[in-house]
Amino acid sequence: MKHLPKLVGAALIASLGLFAPAARAATPPDTLIQAWAIDDIISLDPAEVFEFTASEILGNSYQGLIGYDVKDVSNIFGVVAEKWDISADGKTYTFTIRDGLKFASGNPITASDAVFSLRRAVKLDKSPAFILTQFGFTADNVDAMIRQTGPMTFEYEIDKAYAPTLVLYCLTATVGFIVDEKLAMEHAVDGDFGYNWLKTGYAGSGAFTIREWRANEVVVLERNDNYSGPTPAMARTIYRHIPEAATQRLLLEQGDIDIARNVSADSIDVLAANPGLAVDSGVKGSIYYLGLNQKNPILAIPEVRQAMKYLIDYATIADTIMKGRVTVHQAFLPRGFLGALEDTPFALNVVKAKELLAAAGYPNGFTVTMDTRNTDEITSIGTAIQQTMALAGITVEIIPGDGQQTLTKYRARNHDIYIGRWGPDYQDPHTNADTFARNPNNADDATSKPLAWRNAWNIPEMTARTDAAVLEADAGKRAQMYLDLQAEHQQTSPFIIMFQEIEVMARRANVQGYVVGPSFNDNSFRAVTK
Amino acid sequence: MSTREWLLTEQPASRRQARLGQSYRTWLAFRRNRLAMIGLGIVLALVAVALLAPFISPYNPIVGGDLRTERLLSPSWQHLLGTDDQARDILSRILHGSRITLLVVALVAVIATPIGLLVGTTAGYYGGWVDTVLMRLTDIFLAFPRLILALAFVAALGPGIENAIIAIAITSWPPYARLARAETLTIRNADHIDAIRLQGAHSARIIWGHVVPLCLSSVIVRVTLDMAGIILTAAGLGFLGLGAQPPQPEWGAMIAGGRRFILDHWWVATMPGLAIFVVSLGFNFLGDGLRDVLDPKAQK
Repeated sequence: MKHLPKLVGAALIASLGLFAPAARAATPPDTLIQAWAIDDIISLDPAEVFEFTASEILGNSYQGLIGYDVKDVSNIFGVVAEKWDISADGKTYTFTIRDGLKFASGNPITASDAVFSLRRAVKLDKSPAFILTQFGFTADNVDAMIRQTGPMTFEYEIDKAYAPTLVLYCLTATVGFIVDEKLAMEHAVDGDFGYNWLKTGYAGSGAFTIREWRANEVVVLERNDNYSGPTPAMARTIYRHIPEAATQRLLLEQGDIDIARNVSADSIDVLAANPGLAVDSGVKGSIYYLGLNQKNPILAIPEVRQAMKYLIDYATIADTIMKGRVTVHQAFLPRGFLGALEDTPFALNVVKAKELLAAAGYPNGFTVTMDTRNTDEITSIGTAIQQTMALAGITVEIIPGDGQQTLTKYRARNHDIYIGRWGPDYQDPHTNADTFARNPNNADDATSKPLAWRNAWNIPEMTARTDAAVLEADAGKRAQMYLDLQAEHQQTSPFIIMFQEIEVMARRANVQGYVVGPSFNDNSFRAVTK
Repeated sequence: MSTREWLLTEQPASRRQARLGQSYRTWLAFRRNRLAMIGLGIVLALVAVALLAPFISPYNPIVGGDLRTERLLSPSWQHLLGTDDQARDILSRILHGSRITLLVVALVAVIATPIGLLVGTTAGYYGGWVDTVLMRLTDIFLAFPRLILALAFVAALGPGIENAIIAIAITSWPPYARLARAETLTIRNADHIDAIRLQGAHSARIIWGHVVPLCLSSVIVRVTLDMAGIILTAAGLGFLGLGAQPPQPEWGAMIAGGRRFILDHWWVATMPGLAIFVVSLGFNFLGDGLRDVLDPKAQK
């Protein structure tokens, strides 16, 4: 028993530790800590990134040739590019790179880097490559089409005279970000242009450098001292992987993090009422919609589709279940896009829906299934829709599944109804028109599989109109073409477009200057101060 | 002679009287166990609630009220247990959910018990390679954690309450088989079994008519004790979105749905959680009580 006094002492010290008042946690003054579900990151290579979280990280650590004003996306300006000229035939763009810019590595930015980055994205041909290759680039011809003409100038030649805004917006996407050629090629293995290294590496020129990414744990960014813009106040930014919104909220309330990125609709008011916290929101380009498969003979009847558009209580869902997270929006172009249609002709109208169903030959309704991703938000919206559809006798059977399951079924056109969320790939209206209103080949073995194809909607005439809109150089005329397309699409399509997403984040009140932009690579913490 | 005296008589005049008398004595022993009686009460209440759910529920469990005014209301006289995020009355949902719970428990018991009994008694009775094959098969099933195996089955079959029941039943028979085999081993060489065999009875007849009845009581005890586990597995599958599908008021799915609101609206997840807790406890008490009276080795 000679150890007894020691044991008692140890126990006493331990219990003192337990009962000592918990120190008030605070994040370091020069470090911004965000909690977010970052499990979607699969790569940090600009040629491959197509995910929300990684896009945002690249948006803060790389620079593109050009950018746009997040408040007014029609205002396009040069970033790495000083200026650009468009040839008379509208097919050749000549870019001039700004003088004196440097990558974080210290290497100067030249036209060679820009040409390398764009060719690299086309040749690697990862998921976002179509944003560039839709202009006629292939691995074989890209060396001839994108060519350096001087130390600071290069030409970018496309196959048709597309609307200039489309061409330029596509270059603002993460796939067009400028990669440090020297650094990337130092790490190239077997002609992969440094792809394997850049998956977790960094070769950019943005306000922050990516120091580290540990999957499902953390991403650490550090200030880039070679950045050409104003020096950020934060020396370091850390993303912590915290998937549960409730956990993020507790951490935020305790001061363990500065910003909670996943905020549930029902806690917005509570967080906003807390004097130590503030809630920011910004309208995003993502839209929530229902896709009605035209292979289902009932859903193929126009009156049935129309009736279902009157059987969703858009306003109530936006005001209650999804309060603060969505606004009602019923056209395929989100607000803020060129030519976005803001009319909302549909509201819950059971009487009208019943008339339409009677005209379609289904006065007592019918039964359909709805593939629903088992996230809280999609399930809640699905359940609310199920209830209002039942008012006109339509029995909606919800089939929940994880994202992979429901999406696989959707892509194989095996669904009845799919409830989905669609985010635009770049800021030009063609990004959504291309998928919602264009279906070049409705056969089961088609190579291009836009959303219209997934719902087996055969629209040769509308496809031609969508193709024509891409080639219209006059912005005013082009906007009108999209307005007309949407007005028709709204009434006839098998898509029930319901809401546009609002991104909400909660921050400690002392964190200022976070910019929430229309797409995720526009979310910027360059100017954050604490 | 009162009924009670007739039942408790030392000299029963008929087989029926003896059998009824034995049951009555068991009941008397069971009744002395207060916890067991509480458990029985809970289980009977569950059955009653499940039968009467449409009549005693104050609201519709599927169709909610006005989303704008009746969402996430705290418990009050209008809504005794509050309302959920779709403006549905939680009490009504729990009452209707008892049907799903009871269905799961009953069907799993009906499916898993015979399979377990059959496999166990066959293996124990025949011995040899039959025993080896059947018991190794059982070992394979026992080697997986139950919930994980059930998850795999549901993932393969597709989510839904029927598939959840099948998955749970498939994963819960092995313990019964083990138990039945152990019991069979102790009785297969008993004199009365030998006597029947000498009379020329077929193996199937011996197993079904004489081995199974002797194994039944311990298997019933085991099944009752497992009920709580079955309920929890069903709730777990529902929680993971693989059990009953919305809008069905399955308790586990209700907890999963209420988890989002747990900081500001505690009742949404707590109430179905309490229901699961109470019912599981009831089955455990009942099982303990049954073991005390049915298990011949535990006789005091």
